[in-house]
Amino acid sequence: MSNHQEPKNVILELKNLTVNFPVKGGLPFAPKKWIQAVSDVSLQVESGETFGIVGESGCGKSTIGNAMVGMVKPTSGNVIFKGYDLNLLSSSDFKETRRHMQMIFQDPYSSLNPRFTVFQIIAEPLFIRGGATEEQMKERVVELLKLVGLSENDLYRYPSDFSGGQRQRIGIARAIILNPDFLICDEPVSALDVSVHAQILNLLMELQDKLKITYVFISHNLAVVKNICEHMVVMYLGKVMESGTTEAIYNNPKHPYTKALISAVLDIDLDHSRERILLKGDIPSPINPPKGCRFWQRCPYAMKGCPDHPAKTVEIEPNHFVACHLVNGFSNEEITAGLDRPIGEELGI
Amino acid sequence: MSDLMLKLRNLKVIFPNEAGVLKAVEGIDLDIHRGECVAVVGESGCGKSVTALAIMKLLNSPPALMRVDELQLDGEELKDYSDTKMQEIRGKQIAMIFQDAMTALNPVMTIGNQIDEVYLRHSKMSKKKAREATIMVLKLVGVPEPKARANNFPHQLSGGMRQRVLIAMAFATMPKLIIADEPTTALDVTIQAQVLNVLNDMQKKHQMSLLLITHDLSVVANMADTVYVMYCGKVVEKGTVKQLFSTPHHPYTVGLLASIPKLSDSHHHFVQIPDCVPHPMFKPAGCYFHPRCTHAIDICSKEMPPLVSVEDGRQIRCWNCLNQMKGESDL
Repeated sequence: MSNHQEPKNVILELKNLTVNFPVKGGLPFAPKKWIQAVSDVSLQVESGETFGIVGESGCGKSTIGNAMVGMVKPTSGNVIFKGYDLNLLSSSDFKETRRHMQMIFQDPYSSLNPRFTVFQIIAEPLFIRGGATEEQMKERVVELLKLVGLSENDLYRYPSDFSGGQRQRIGIARAIILNPDFLICDEPVSALDVSVHAQILNLLMELQDKLKITYVFISHNLAVVKNICEHMVVMYLGKVMESGTTEAIYNNPKHPYTKALISAVLDIDLDHSRERILLKGDIPSPINPPKGCRFWQRCPYAMKGCPDHPAKTVEIEPNHFVACHLVNGFSNEEITAGLDRPIGEELGI
Repeated sequence: MSDLMLKLRNLKVIFPNEAGVLKAVEGIDLDIHRGECVAVVGESGCGKSVTALAIMKLLNSPPALMRVDELQLDGEELKDYSDTKMQEIRGKQIAMIFQDAMTALNPVMTIGNQIDEVYLRHSKMSKKKAREATIMVLKLVGVPEPKARANNFPHQLSGGMRQRVLIAMAFATMPKLIIADEPTTALDVTIQAQVLNVLNDMQKKHQMSLLLITHDLSVVANMADTVYVMYCGKVVEKGTVKQLFSTPHHPYTVGLLASIPKLSDSHHHFVQIPDCVPHPMFKPAGCYFHPRCTHAIDICSKEMPPLVSVEDGRQIRCWNCLNQMKGESDL
């Protein structure tokens, strides 16, 4: 996989994707403020793989997911699915393309219509596409129910009759009824009980084997991502901090944020107490993010150049990209200007 | 024992409704020693939060009906205390940290005023003294610029800061027992690490007893001394953290521990417990876990196993484990 020469079969590509949301309110003639949810993110998802997006809340991972399926219009940049730019397609073409990309949502309690029966919920995409008789729809829904581990008897029950795990199964059945090639799983297990996590994750993995679907897996659980994803990106405040193969990132995390994130994962293993890096402070607001590296305020190694100079993304080994001054270094001129000195120096910290 | 901070014997909580009786907690014994951190672990609906509220006597009746044989805090029997008398206990001797800091704090009061209230209510301080104490305690939990922060409203603070404010509020009167109900569930991993650190430091420094209610076994591993595992309103296993995590006996505990993805694994398959938690109105006959248990034998579907004490303070509720131990002692 890490072989560089192998031609990649890219199913979805983001090119310099930026998504800004306007902030409501404020004075009439005051300059408009923007939440910079995603800034300048480029990534490629290969066909058949599981691609992980990791980060804390507010880092823009869900916005990327929404932009990938065209639910959010990018401010600039392109979303290219199977060679077509989603935002240049005519609305009928977009509808046709959208059939191949579906989504599983985080909260199975609010993502299912409580007044629909299971049959209505799962068959809705088929109904919207049209061209299937009631009989055919029913047959297909029953087939899917069995595939996700529910039974035919559940066909006319309502979501309220089911537990969280079962509801998520219904959500998964709805997402795959149109045979998509591309599925976005936005925190699919974080609202569920611990003992059910494994069931749903295993179901997703089985379905991938059977149906050859590409997953984009959005999660804050680093242990899950490590086990199921081939490639991943680590995000912070709308920017990609580190990206590459999961193996490379976990074995050799380079960015201070990735290191802190991995070390903050609590382990149930009592014998191997790892050194924990505690980050100071909170995630800053995405309304006025720092000009340079977005992480510098919380970075234990911040240097003088970090606040004002954005870090370039550099490939440090095949398929492993990092955006950090610490790794990439400064140019000679910048070093003579003293940009590589620790930031607390003059404050005497 | 004199250093027993909380002694809870045979706590039962039921919620009668039209359809029948929902048994939330079915006879729980809980011991917390001075300076100890006890964790109650279980999935949603297992009765762990109800247990916490019952200890504070905060359950509304109706709908809840609560019965307890003994509820002693530091030797003081709270069982028959009236609500007015409990108000003296709550906040001063037992304090609680809630899960969702945004809903637990009053949105129209500054956090300073909210913490002042604890002092004004419980230690007859002047307003000025109370504010000084507030600033002190905010500083203790690591709120930067406590003086300025005290004049902020909850919405002006971040999630981690709000959780710190709740912790400060709980520690304000230096109570004997602190109950933390899912203190970090709503937080991000890096913030969770910060908050747990604060909680741990405060508890160790002031030798307080902490009852930690959580579903997250990794938090338990890092915080607790003793662990109770609950399933469907009953304790299924009790032991020290070491015992429980190194040699779990009950199949539910074994399953829970195995199903947690670890950073050290590298496989595509996750260990799973089949099925899901039964609805609390329709618990199965016999052992509540038997329909999901891979080792279930005949007796499991007929009779509820007793909670039996085994080596040094460890307790287990499982027929298989019982039989195994009997077999060993016969040899």
